[in-house]
Amino acid sequence: MTLLRPLARLAVAGALPILVPALVALALWALPGDPASIVCPPGLCAGSEGLAARWHLDRGPLGFLWSWAEAAAAGDLGRSWRVMTGVPVAELVGAAAPVTLTLVAATGGLLLAGAGLGAVAGRPLRAALAGVGAAPAVVLALLASAAVDLRFGGDAFGPEAVAWRLVAAVAVLALADGALSGAVAGAGDAFARERAERYVLAARLRGEPEVPNLLPNLAPALAGQLRARLLAVLSGSVIVEAALRVDGVGDLLWRAALLQDFAVMMAAATFYAGLAAALLGLHAAVEGATGWWVRRAPAVEGA
Amino acid sequence: MRRGAALAGGALLLGLLALAAAAPERLPDPDPARASLGPAAAPPFGTDPRGRPLWAYAAQGAAVVVLPSVAAGALVAGSAAGAGLVRCAGLPRLDGALAALAEVVGSLPRLPMVLVVALVLPADARSLWPLAAAWAALASPGAMDEAAAAAERVGGSRFVEALRAHGFSWSRVYLWHVLALNLRPVLVRQGAETAAAVTFLEVAISWLAAREDHPSLAHPERVRSWAALLDMGYPSLLLDVPTGHALGLGLGLCGVVLGAARLLAAGAAAR
Repeated sequence: MTLLRPLARLAVAGALPILVPALVALALWALPGDPASIVCPPGLCAGSEGLAARWHLDRGPLGFLWSWAEAAAAGDLGRSWRVMTGVPVAELVGAAAPVTLTLVAATGGLLLAGAGLGAVAGRPLRAALAGVGAAPAVVLALLASAAVDLRFGGDAFGPEAVAWRLVAAVAVLALADGALSGAVAGAGDAFARERAERYVLAARLRGEPEVPNLLPNLAPALAGQLRARLLAVLSGSVIVEAALRVDGVGDLLWRAALLQDFAVMMAAATFYAGLAAALLGLHAAVEGATGWWVRRAPAVEGA
Repeated sequence: MRRGAALAGGALLLGLLALAAAAPERLPDPDPARASLGPAAAPPFGTDPRGRPLWAYAAQGAAVVVLPSVAAGALVAGSAAGAGLVRCAGLPRLDGALAALAEVVGSLPRLPMVLVVALVLPADARSLWPLAAAWAALASPGAMDEAAAAAERVGGSRFVEALRAHGFSWSRVYLWHVLALNLRPVLVRQGAETAAAVTFLEVAISWLAAREDHPSLAHPERVRSWAALLDMGYPSLLLDVPTGHALGLGLGLCGVVLGAARLLAAGAAAR
């Protein structure tokens, strides 16, 4: 039973990267009209039969999905239609992925630190953070973009400006939509509830430190909170990267949606699904490890 | 205090609905003589660089976002209510199936999925409705999880059995005691947060599109959303351009939405 939930999460994590293309395929065939003309409207593309053959859209949803997944597994994500016409999509995603991963990892680090702070923070800090965190990502991204443009003016794409944009993006992602304030408050509430439990009071009376007693019970919940917030950060990263002109996968996905570049969109959306799967896998690992630890401990002396 | 918050939140929502109802079909004709006037010279909100009143932008923007946002909020609140009721009804198989579905759907990153929806929609069918529906579907699992946990905390099916033992009718138990008294804070907060998130989603993707001189993915080209105000006012942050009042209005409208969501959630909070 202890391992059932982590295993279920791992199964879902394994399915997520193929689920997104599967949903796209489902949508293409569920919508009225020819899938090839949905993928690229006739006004933009000539020769929908050629397009259908090239993208295996003439083989039905399963044929399309299988062909795409097979090619993707071999590293062939096709070529960009409009974002950077003719360039292999794998190259575009490969160049953008480290940027997005850096953003998400840095924001995750801040949220983790916020959760740690939540364990000890008082109400005034929480209230102050809640005030800042109320702002939506689009508003903070707009202000951050203006601040970078003001500081660097015409040299807004020089190396220093790019570094500033990255830092600004991390700050916006951490602060906007209540990410950091939620991490502080969520962890604070969880610690407060657990501290009121009798086993913690008993541990305190025995002179034992609190945290080693609390953590095995809190770790799965805290991991779940962090995963939910990082999922929101993944969403926010698309807006923030596009607004701050950070060359990550979010910006790529945004341009693909705007320019109707189906090849880039499929790859970028699958990249995001992969990140979400990794977060789910991490959550499962924390749950599994905690379950294993709880079953193993405490090793009562003399028992 | 809670009643005041609920009334204030409701008043803001009604104000936005009234603004949406007053939206003109098209923006008024340009009037170069009244270009870029501030709110004092051209009440209530001033004019754009072509002399058109900004209230028309605000009203058209409200018409774009208000109903889809409220519907998305209602969808999320409804699915959360369903999950809470299932937990209270003691239907473990259905409960398990809902939890499994929520685990899968809730793990998908929302905005990338919404952009996929935006891309596969035909250009002439562009509207916030499908995007709001996609966002609500992806936001529902979190709300369902929280509502089910809240129902579990009050006792789940044992709570219902206890009330039934007092002779209360099914409708009174489920609609009043479970939904109105115990799940209300979760349902209203989740619904209000989703409605605000959908509004900001529209503002974000329309503003980003406007910056690139592209038509929005969330509304037809003939109408303007609040993002147009942000786009118009943005240069005033960098240059000596008299459009700061447009930026202020755009940000103010975002603040009104946020305020309404917060006040409604505070008004529905548990005692």
